[in-house]
Amino acid sequence: MTRMASFEAGEGKRSMAIGSYFRGDYIAKEIIKSILYGTVAYGIVVGLYLAHDLEEFMAGLYEMDWIAFGKMILYRYLAVIGAYSVVTYIVYVVRYRRARRNLRIYYNNLRRLGSMYRKESGEDGKQ
Amino acid sequence: MAQLLMIREKIKSFYSRFEGFCKPALKFLLALVTLMIVNKGIPFASVLTSLPVMLVLALICSFFPMNFILVIGVLVVLLHLYALSLETVLITGVFFLLMFLLYFRFAPKDTILLLLTPICFTLKIPYVVPICAGLVGSPVSVISTGCGVVSWHLLHYIAENKSSLMTQESDPIFQLDKLRVLIDALLNNREMQVLVAAFAVTILCVYIIRRLPVDHCWTIAMITGMLIDIVVILVGDLRFETRISIPGLIIGSLVALAVAVVLQFFVFNVDYTRTERVQFEDDEYYYYVKAVPKNSVSLADRKVKKIKGREKPGTPASAEGGTEKERRDSPEYRVRRSKATIEQESRKTPPLREETLQDISGSVARNKNRTKRIILPEDTDQNT
Repeated sequence: MTRMASFEAGEGKRSMAIGSYFRGDYIAKEIIKSILYGTVAYGIVVGLYLAHDLEEFMAGLYEMDWIAFGKMILYRYLAVIGAYSVVTYIVYVVRYRRARRNLRIYYNNLRRLGSMYRKESGEDGKQ
Repeated sequence: MAQLLMIREKIKSFYSRFEGFCKPALKFLLALVTLMIVNKGIPFASVLTSLPVMLVLALICSFFPMNFILVIGVLVVLLHLYALSLETVLITGVFFLLMFLLYFRFAPKDTILLLLTPICFTLKIPYVVPICAGLVGSPVSVISTGCGVVSWHLLHYIAENKSSLMTQESDPIFQLDKLRVLIDALLNNREMQVLVAAFAVTILCVYIIRRLPVDHCWTIAMITGMLIDIVVILVGDLRFETRISIPGLIIGSLVALAVAVVLQFFVFNVDYTRTERVQFEDDEYYYYVKAVPKNSVSLADRKVKKIKGREKPGTPASAEGGTEKERRDSPEYRVRRSKATIEQESRKTPPLREETLQDISGSVARNKNRTKRIILPEDTDQNT
């Protein structure tokens, strides 16, 4: 009972929030969030690189092949976001599975406690 | 060993008894150490380096969640760097933004690792971090440890090159140069990259091995982790010609192993000789369980009983500060009462009975002197 109360107060809150989603919905939601965060992070890194090579960039501004440059930026973005999404998928599949397992143990304990209460109340009724 | 286990149990019971005080105290200590290290490394804003300010900030941190220490640490760093130059604040701020995007996404509860990594670098024992993170953390600890390594290297670089970064130039070319130098320090620091890679590989290996269902997995994990860490750093050093000290690496790894052994004693102290394999089921699953008992000793439950001195005759109990109940519970009172009871019982006991044998033996004793037999009260039942 103490363990259950501790679970409800701590880890249980997060597990219950995760458990309220279907697996696919939960993972898709987290991947979309990761894509947003990854896009911001990638933008920052590209900005840093541009700041680093600003002189060369400005000097070759008019001679640059913009389509090739855009393709390079896009391909790298897709590679980064792809890798980030794969990592997110793995991490959140593990988290979802762990949350479901914790919830299953919690509900088993809850059922056992309920049957103990029923048993006690039945005995009291007989007396 | 039993003594060590006893000490461990005492520490655990002390912590669980005073958890409400221990947690804030530990947070206070961690925040104070972090702020001291930051102030020692980049002491550019003199207001923040004073001890009262540090104490107040650490005290505030002790009442908030662990991540608040991180936020305060980042703010203090940025304020120090603002006193140095605006470009430094910009690059460092961008790095911290990147770090928070990655870190809070996957490992928001690994603050302790993120804070301990720069602290261990300052104490010259950085190799402790990956082994301990692999033992008690999870694979996502790679992110927090990596962020810690990059933070320390960036701040270390700024501290070493403060004179060149401090110059206030209005020329945009000089400002761009400063930015470039800082970005180089962040993105092209080979030593930092080798350490990040080595720590990541070590954490993953240690984590995988310590989760294996084999005996002594923690010991195997920590030794393997130490060797992998050394090998990856050596290979990186050869490949990228970093300036990592090899004796420092060896000694640091041995220190890391010692710290890991201590950690194992506190976290995963089990007795493999008493391993049991059990099998059971519930409504949905069959369970094949290998149960390894933990090494533990129970603390002796000592009760101290206070014994009061003898009362002076005529002195009332209340005058000594004791109640009537305490007086009655005292051993002197009990002894006196026992003596009195014995005397009283002996008074109640019937006197020795004289019983003539005349009634028993009839005519045999009739003409002779009366023979007296002394019958003790206990014997009465037997003889009658």
